[in-house]
Amino acid sequence: MSKHGRSQELDMDMTPMIDCVFLLMIFFVLVIDLSQKEMENLILPKAEYAIPDEDPPDVRPIINITQDGRFVYKSNTFYDPAEHGEDFSKAGELLSIWKDTVVTDTEVVSLGGSTMTLVNDPVLIRADKWTEWFYVGKFMAACATPDAAFWKLELAMSEEDKEAKLLRGLQAAKGGK
Amino acid sequence: MAHKLMEEVEQEAEMNMTPMIDVVFLLIIFFLCIDFKILEAKLPAYLPKDRGSQTTETEPVEQLSLKIVCDNWGTKALRQPDRGATNKDGSPAAFVLNNHLVHWMVGPRRITDDKVLITELKKIADDPSRRVTDPKTGEKKIMTVVIEPGSQTTYGDVAKTVDMVTVAGFVEINFGGGAAAK
Repeated sequence: MSKHGRSQELDMDMTPMIDCVFLLMIFFVLVIDLSQKEMENLILPKAEYAIPDEDPPDVRPIINITQDGRFVYKSNTFYDPAEHGEDFSKAGELLSIWKDTVVTDTEVVSLGGSTMTLVNDPVLIRADKWTEWFYVGKFMAACATPDAAFWKLELAMSEEDKEAKLLRGLQAAKGGK
Repeated sequence: MAHKLMEEVEQEAEMNMTPMIDVVFLLIIFFLCIDFKILEAKLPAYLPKDRGSQTTETEPVEQLSLKIVCDNWGTKALRQPDRGATNKDGSPAAFVLNNHLVHWMVGPRRITDDKVLITELKKIADDPSRRVTDPKTGEKKIMTVVIEPGSQTTYGDVAKTVDMVTVAGFVEINFGGGAAAK
């Protein structure tokens, strides 16, 4: 009888450990920084005079515009010239999503007899150095519509000339061969 | 023996607090992480109806027009020729434009050099006679620059121009001319 009792006491209760593991999992899933996913691999134009972005705002949606004119947000392509052509309504859909779920600083104003909700949070536009302005202009035009009303736009630039660095590296590699 | 049995029964009646503590921790994490601001923004609100507070007409404010004109689109060359014309996923490989040339029009004046453009812009920004009256405050301020990128200009051309306008001392920058044609 007593032997049986002792063997039961030695059984390990796994429940608290599993609980802790679940809690840690939830914590890291919620806290993990996914901001890097917002950045596409683009070569930005070099800034000669602009001051580095020391203290970026907490809320700032980032749109990436690639050389071939695609609008990419968090690795998802919202507009592709090859697919959508002259139909830029997808940019409006993306801005609508931002307005509903991303931005926090909005203000209802009256302009020209109609009311609209202005978004005071900035939008960062990242485009490749050689992206045609046509596509950037179309995105900015979508921001300026009364339905979107994003008025604070920032253009991303780089502190170093990454393209020159890349080309120098290629030339050095050729010279080495 | 009977006494021992009674003790066992009393021990079994103890409540296991672990699941309750787990649930409480989960609730704490949930309420810590949830963003109440978003929820608040979605609450229905009945705002006062606008009665047209701005009925007075405002004088148009003078702005500085800065056009970017493409002289030569240039020739495309692959940024990394050793990787081929397409990336691994089939998307077109990145390119550079050789001999891409632009000039600027500051009002009627044609400028082709970066340094000359900065000098010209600084001269305008520093000139007290070219200050405009702020319609909101009534104070004198540096005029707004309207950058108008033409067709075949690139993001690099515009970003460089914004950079130069900023260093010249201008604070307010608008973009005009609509979306440039392709």
